[in-house]
Amino acid sequence: MSGQDDPHQLDASAFHRTVHSFEFWFEAVEGYLHGREYGVSPATQEVELSERQRESLITILCNYCVGETAALDASSGMIGFAPDRISKIFLSTQVVDEGRHLEVMLHRLGQLGVRDPEAEILQRANRSLLKFKERLLDFVHASDWEAAVLAQNVILECMEYTVFRYHAAHADPVTSEMLSGVVSDERRHMGFGENDLGRRLIVAPHAHERLLKIKRELDPLILDTFSETMGELGIEPASRPDLANEYLGAVARLGFQS
Amino acid sequence: MADFLSNYSIQRWLESCPQGYLEDTVYGHRPDDHEPESMLDNDLLRESEIRSTVQLVAGERCALAASSGLINSAPDQASKAFLATQTLDEGRHVEIFTQRLYDLGVKPQDLEATITTYLNPHLAKFAEVLLEKVDKKDFVAGVVGQNIVLEGMAFSVFEMLQATHTETNPKFAHTLSGTIADERRHVGFGENRIGELIRRYPERKADVERMQRDMSKHMLATFHVAFSGSAAANEEAKRQMESGARPKTKAVYQGVDLSAVSTEEMEKVLASTVLGEFKTRLARIGLEYQSPL
Repeated sequence: MSGQDDPHQLDASAFHRTVHSFEFWFEAVEGYLHGREYGVSPATQEVELSERQRESLITILCNYCVGETAALDASSGMIGFAPDRISKIFLSTQVVDEGRHLEVMLHRLGQLGVRDPEAEILQRANRSLLKFKERLLDFVHASDWEAAVLAQNVILECMEYTVFRYHAAHADPVTSEMLSGVVSDERRHMGFGENDLGRRLIVAPHAHERLLKIKRELDPLILDTFSETMGELGIEPASRPDLANEYLGAVARLGFQS
Repeated sequence: MADFLSNYSIQRWLESCPQGYLEDTVYGHRPDDHEPESMLDNDLLRESEIRSTVQLVAGERCALAASSGLINSAPDQASKAFLATQTLDEGRHVEIFTQRLYDLGVKPQDLEATITTYLNPHLAKFAEVLLEKVDKKDFVAGVVGQNIVLEGMAFSVFEMLQATHTETNPKFAHTLSGTIADERRHVGFGENRIGELIRRYPERKADVERMQRDMSKHMLATFHVAFSGSAAANEEAKRQMESGARPKTKAVYQGVDLSAVSTEEMEKVLASTVLGEFKTRLARIGLEYQSPL
């Protein structure tokens, strides 16, 4: 497809048609998913985890599943009120990405010996993350496009990107490879959010204040989720990486200062 | 249920669809395939192709809205995962049929106006009936309407279109073959998943059957308007074949050579095929077909 190799050579309208298309999505995921069943190549070996490590990983994955289910329900719901057809097509690629993330994480839970993931998720879900999910779906049910893009494609994706990237660098090889593929998708989703909100705020700068207020409401929920995840990873408070600041910095780069 | 749903996982979908029959395609066809000049140069034939492609875009937009809208009301994670793949399939169909409109000469800035001009009003009503169920988060009715009725209709329409284009327009026929493979998967999910839910909630039968009757009524009206409106283009295609401007070919569908029959006969073949399929599929999930006539 012309422009596929370097979409930045295209004019603005052709650029959006291209980067939000199925064709572009397929080219992007083909590289890191081909030959990797449930996101992991056959050559990647399991290492033995201690009972404490296994328990922590199960809790963390259960919470990742909460986040991914929120993203799946939100991105699918947003198709119904997306402002244009190109955004609908992009969201259809995001829906399958989120569904895939949920599937690979449920599969990993099965490998770790979890027989009833639904019950396990209910039992181990972080309350702040559940509250975040509830607020995100409120925006979706209200068909509030700007708030939903901010909460999902900026805040939630940014949080997942930060946590998954850190976790992938420190996890066992199977979990690490699975998360690396997920991180590549999150980057694409954040790009959409940044681009969409950026364009909207240029023509409607007054919306910035409302979105900032929403971000301030959601930030504590995200920061609390970070803190709990770090605890589950077994990192002492004094030696924890400053993921919260990394997240706030990433969101600030999108134009939303704390 | 878990075993059957494992056949509809995203992993299975990745292997069979994007990494399977869509490999090496661009917008669903071979990169070097093009629309035939003999059709592009003839205003009557080109307009007829635009008209029929507009109905495909509209049908797929409805399917995209329905499959994505059903994810929130799906009762289990595996059904959500399948509907996620269906959402992307439908998004891809919207994209490839929209691209075909561009290939037929529609300019991107004229896309919505073209769709408004040529959209069959009965198809719009057909979509309304389905999307009303989806908006009410009625998962059982939504999946019957989407995966049995809409997809069942699309499956037969695509097969008929593929039969008429295989020799005259390999590009479009190839595009259709990928969508047919997708629709087969969607119909299979509907039959398997909903059969179990209908058995569990038999009190839902009457309402779902009423929806099927209403959708079937609008579908038959859609066919009637579409075939009546294509009579002149059908005659022109026959004239081109007689004059040698395009090769004489057969287009066999359900045992009928479509290149040799009238549009009334084509309509009859398609309607009886789709309704026959409905009866079979609805019976499999424990519903009784309701005639709209």
